Amino acid sequence: MPREAEPSINQRDFVFSAVQQGIRVDGRTPLQARQIAICFGNELGWVECSLGKTRVIAQVTATVTRPSPERPFEGILLITTEFSPMASSAYETGRPSEEEVTISRMLEKTIRRSEALDREALCILTGKKVWALRLTLHFLSDEGDLLDCASVAAITALRHFRKPDVEVVGDEVTIFSPEERAPVPLSLHHQPMCVSFAFLGPANVLVVDPTHLEEQLANGTMSISLNAQREICVLQKAGGVALPADEVMRAVNIAVFRVRELSDIVSRALEEDSKTRVIEVR
Amino acid sequence: MSRFEPLNAGNLRSDGRRPLELRSFSAQLTTHPSADGSASVSHGLTQVTACVYGPREAKNRGQTMHDRALVNVEVSVAPWAGEMRRQRARGDKRTLEFAASIKATFEPVIQTTLYPRSEIHIHIHVLQLDGGLLQASINATTLALIDAGIPMLDYVSSLSAGLYLTTAMLDLTSIEESDLPSVTVAVLPRSGKVTLVSMETRLHVDRFEEMFKLAMEGGKVLRGEMDRIVRERTAALARQMEGGGGTKEEDKMDTDDL
Amino acid sequence: MDMDWDFDDEGVQKLTSPGEVITSATQFMRGHGTFVEDNDVVASLSGTIERVNKLVSVRALRTRYHGEVGDLVVGRITEVQAARWKVDVNGHQDALLRLSSVNLPGGVQRRKLESDELEMRKFFEEGDLLVAEVQPTHGDGALNLHTRSLKYGKLRNGQLVTVSPVLIRRRNSHFCSLPCGVDLILGMNGYIWIAKHVAENQKEGEEGFDAEAVYSNKNDDIDMETRAAISRVSNLIHVFARRSIPITDAILAEAYDWAVQQETSPSDLLRADVGDTMVAMVTALA
Repeated sequence: MPREAEPSINQRDFVFSAVQQGIRVDGRTPLQARQIAICFGNELGWVECSLGKTRVIAQVTATVTRPSPERPFEGILLITTEFSPMASSAYETGRPSEEEVTISRMLEKTIRRSEALDREALCILTGKKVWALRLTLHFLSDEGDLLDCASVAAITALRHFRKPDVEVVGDEVTIFSPEERAPVPLSLHHQPMCVSFAFLGPANVLVVDPTHLEEQLANGTMSISLNAQREICVLQKAGGVALPADEVMRAVNIAVFRVRELSDIVSRALEEDSKTRVIEVR
Repeated sequence: MSRFEPLNAGNLRSDGRRPLELRSFSAQLTTHPSADGSASVSHGLTQVTACVYGPREAKNRGQTMHDRALVNVEVSVAPWAGEMRRQRARGDKRTLEFAASIKATFEPVIQTTLYPRSEIHIHIHVLQLDGGLLQASINATTLALIDAGIPMLDYVSSLSAGLYLTTAMLDLTSIEESDLPSVTVAVLPRSGKVTLVSMETRLHVDRFEEMFKLAMEGGKVLRGEMDRIVRERTAALARQMEGGGGTKEEDKMDTDDL
Repeated sequence: MDMDWDFDDEGVQKLTSPGEVITSATQFMRGHGTFVEDNDVVASLSGTIERVNKLVSVRALRTRYHGEVGDLVVGRITEVQAARWKVDVNGHQDALLRLSSVNLPGGVQRRKLESDELEMRKFFEEGDLLVAEVQPTHGDGALNLHTRSLKYGKLRNGQLVTVSPVLIRRRNSHFCSLPCGVDLILGMNGYIWIAKHVAENQKEGEEGFDAEAVYSNKNDDIDMETRAAISRVSNLIHVFARRSIPITDAILAEAYDWAVQQETSPSDLLRADVGDTMVAMVTALA
């Protein structure tokens, strides 16, 4: 698959001169993000998130399995990312491109390494049975900022999902189907989400939620994962244009604000959904 | 099992250093004379070698760019590098991400526009690992690129920092890295700007700034050390090439290949 | 005009490192190895500062070959393309040798025919070694070579030694003949060809340009003495290269004489102690 064609010099100059004057090519201001829309599927734990034209689907499924011998009292969380040419012709199935590796590593670090999910709560019978959760992210459309969109979808899916209720008596484990007993939500320690930035133009103007074109033209990018408690979970600025320390701190503060916004949006969407969804047993 | 104490009562770390003290740093240039440039760097017990090939005709013609050189980075971690022997698979995502961040760090610093349609291949070997992998790799790559005579805008100097309660510490060992929130930064010392920031542990925003800025300052100090070593080596080479005589023992290259 | 910054007190050239400010850009022009930022000339390499009138440049002491027009280079064919060959000359890119830049059988001025394009491997194949001169580049930055002289062309009856290009200085003639019966070609790109000596009168004449002989792939018979001489010279070059001493035919001739006097075998020259002694002796004489 040939590499994607680079934007022309005219396009680049146009984008830069526009952002220099405080307005981006799609009409947003540098710190303005696109509209987020979250919708839920029929199953619990199936979430589609769209950020402008970028769309990601997150799905959580659970099975019971043996725990790993080093950690007999912890459940397992597996995060997989599926990039397909459907998202963009630059992706191919098979060997992951650099961008795919970056995104899936960031998601791993954001959700798994920061211990967002309480894995000890996934334990059913120490050493014998635990829940193994599989979080799959399907990237449907890449119009820039896949990472932010994916992180919102992932956290929403984890909050939306309900695992079947279990009862343990001695060594006897009974798993109740959703018709017998209402399924139980997962236990999350905190909810980290990613905010990505790009630096455009000779003045390195900082923009939030870059579009695909802006990502291609950027001198540098930076992604920060935070939770609503103002804790930084991951900060990744890998190369790109060199920045003074204050600019980095400014981005961190903008990210704090944005994550709070995102958390509110997610909470509201979950609330809306719970009104119409039936989870209890009749 | 005794609990690891990052900072003891006398304000000393587990290896006896003060919080802002760096580990012993040493570097050699031209460790692999067959490569265009090479360097080996140690921060305490962490040892990393970088070999640079190029700018040379690109192996993969399809990837070249018409107006600049292509930078490729390959990383291999020796199985004996860590505490336990581990054979890492090639194409392991973590290794790929590591290589991608090193490539992204150096691409804007190397003057790639001087070598269109060629490729610069950087190969990093991790020989011994005791924390500070990213910092050692970046420092080794900087020195290898200088050894190869590839023009750069500045040194890229990298250092890690961590935080224990309210005390910031520089240059972490692996046991400190696994226990404390830490960040690795790479700076361009002349401008004082930062080109890489990588943090993977949870830390409150208010406590981040101090640790971050200290790491940047530390990077600038490290540049002085690296420059001293580079100048010594360049002076020795210049001596040999001018005089053609009176070669001192330390001027000769270390390897005895052939 | 102050000259302090490029020569220090002993008149030794000053060294610099990447990122270091050399001087002000308002007074001087920047050359290779430097760039301009905020009205300063900043070094981008680690090496010696060179100043010619108002031009400031930095010369690295270890670098790949940087071609100049008129340089003599020894190269190896890497690829056969349509009407041209690609030649590895230890530079940033492979150099180009066009079909129109080589001597074709049937006379030096013969026009290139269609059939020549299809039979390019009759002249040069992948892996062949040749000596050529750098032509003015009208290409895209890659070097252009030509072998349009009877001195240039395919190499045989000898051995290639590679050293760093900085160890070869520009001279009048890069074809040298050592008294021990060995011919030497010092390519500016650091590739050195050591071969059995060919007497002047045996070289090809202008008329009856014999394509068979010039592009032949067959080596002559070489006797043991010549082979020993070739391998001694090749080891001497390695010894000098390891100590970063510039290679010239004069220094090689002296070293060879010393080696013969000391009756060292060719392989003994590679031993560290023997190498040290040899270098000390030879450079003292120089």
